Amino acid sequence: MKTIDISVHLNGETTHWNIAPGDILLDVLRREGYVGAKRGCETGACGACTVLVNGKPIDSCLMFAAQADGKEILTIEGLAEGDKLHPLQEAFLDYGAVQCGYCTPGMILNSKALLDQDPDPSEEQVRETLSGNLCRCTGYTKPVAAVLAAARGSK
Amino acid sequence: MFDHVEAYYRPGSIPEALRLFQTGNGGARFLAGGTDLINHADRSIRSLIDVTHLGLNYIRRQEGGWVIGATTTLSDLESSTATRALAGGILLRAASQSGPVQTRNMATVGGRVANRSQFAEIATPLVALDAVAVMAHARRRMKLPVADLFPMNGDAPTQGAMIVEIAIPALPGGGHIGWSFQKLGRTESDVSLVNVAAGLQIGRNGNCKWARIVVGATGPSPLRAVQAENQLTGRTIDATLIDIASDAVMNAVSPVSGIRGSAEYLCEMTRVMARRALLECAKGAGCTL
Repeated sequence: MKTIDISVHLNGETTHWNIAPGDILLDVLRREGYVGAKRGCETGACGACTVLVNGKPIDSCLMFAAQADGKEILTIEGLAEGDKLHPLQEAFLDYGAVQCGYCTPGMILNSKALLDQDPDPSEEQVRETLSGNLCRCTGYTKPVAAVLAAARGSK
Repeated sequence: MFDHVEAYYRPGSIPEALRLFQTGNGGARFLAGGTDLINHADRSIRSLIDVTHLGLNYIRRQEGGWVIGATTTLSDLESSTATRALAGGILLRAASQSGPVQTRNMATVGGRVANRSQFAEIATPLVALDAVAVMAHARRRMKLPVADLFPMNGDAPTQGAMIVEIAIPALPGGGHIGWSFQKLGRTESDVSLVNVAAGLQIGRNGNCKWARIVVGATGPSPLRAVQAENQLTGRTIDATLIDIASDAVMNAVSPVSGIRGSAEYLCEMTRVMARRALLECAKGAGCTL
């Protein structure tokens, strides 16, 4: 199999990957150890594989890794600064907004993109944004409260 | 997943993209956002031609109408001030209801049209606005109504061509005009069970001068409800007439029962969405109901 070299700015560091041209971004991320991006539906319905590409949430199961060449990627592994958790991570802990945790990285990254764009979103905006992140433990109330609390805390 | 892909190209010009497609001997696919392609394309694809670096991400006014570059994402449409002003924002509303934000950040207008999905929300207002797809072939450019790209409306000669932009002609002028886009999905981010894009223009005499009603998702192609449009044109819009027209919209569709609902339910919901759309249009055009 012929492979290609790409470079991405991953969690703040320039990273080189040797990939197959048909590789899916989610598969490459997990292969490279970034397992915070979860494999869920693989059809873009569940949002468990959400990462930020150039600051925007995308489903990494619906993107070829080659499309990310030259772009910035943020996974959940890159969100905390050393031991200091991101305010959204703190808020998810404070509010107990985690059950099994499988959907949590996607929810937090998607919420980060929302707060970066609008630091003071309405509850409706938070719910609309998280509509693409399914929680099969069905715990939606606490994540929404946590995102709103993180927004309040950052004021 | 795509084990047969041998090459990923990122051409810098449209002729180069077309040439790569040609040399792919049927194994090449144009790639924009990838959300439809990865979900639906057959796994025998041998090369990918990424067309997102051709400078085709734009929305601008042109000759009284608008042009939208093929690789403009649905999120770009949502955040553009140009689309807010376009036809009461129905394109923006359809874009913002095209699945979750993760999908909208990747999916493109050209991709959604090219893939001819029954569930492409964006296609319904584009057909309502008489949008035309500008397609590049190896030696020429051609324009095809977006409606004609869908399977029910003819076998458009699109093989080997690439959608460059979508052009929306100038809207009907004069009088007051109201627009609406209505979607019913199981949840906020689910595909449409039915959606309706509509516009009503009310002339100076208070009568309906122009009506446009298009239904999406109930069949393989967006469907213009011409009979319902004719029932409205030339008459004074009131609640009774809207009810009559909504019945006509319902009678125009023939959905198939499936996991998303029975044919009876989808028909009934078509009537409800059409009614909501026409009421909003009438209100927007200044009618008192």
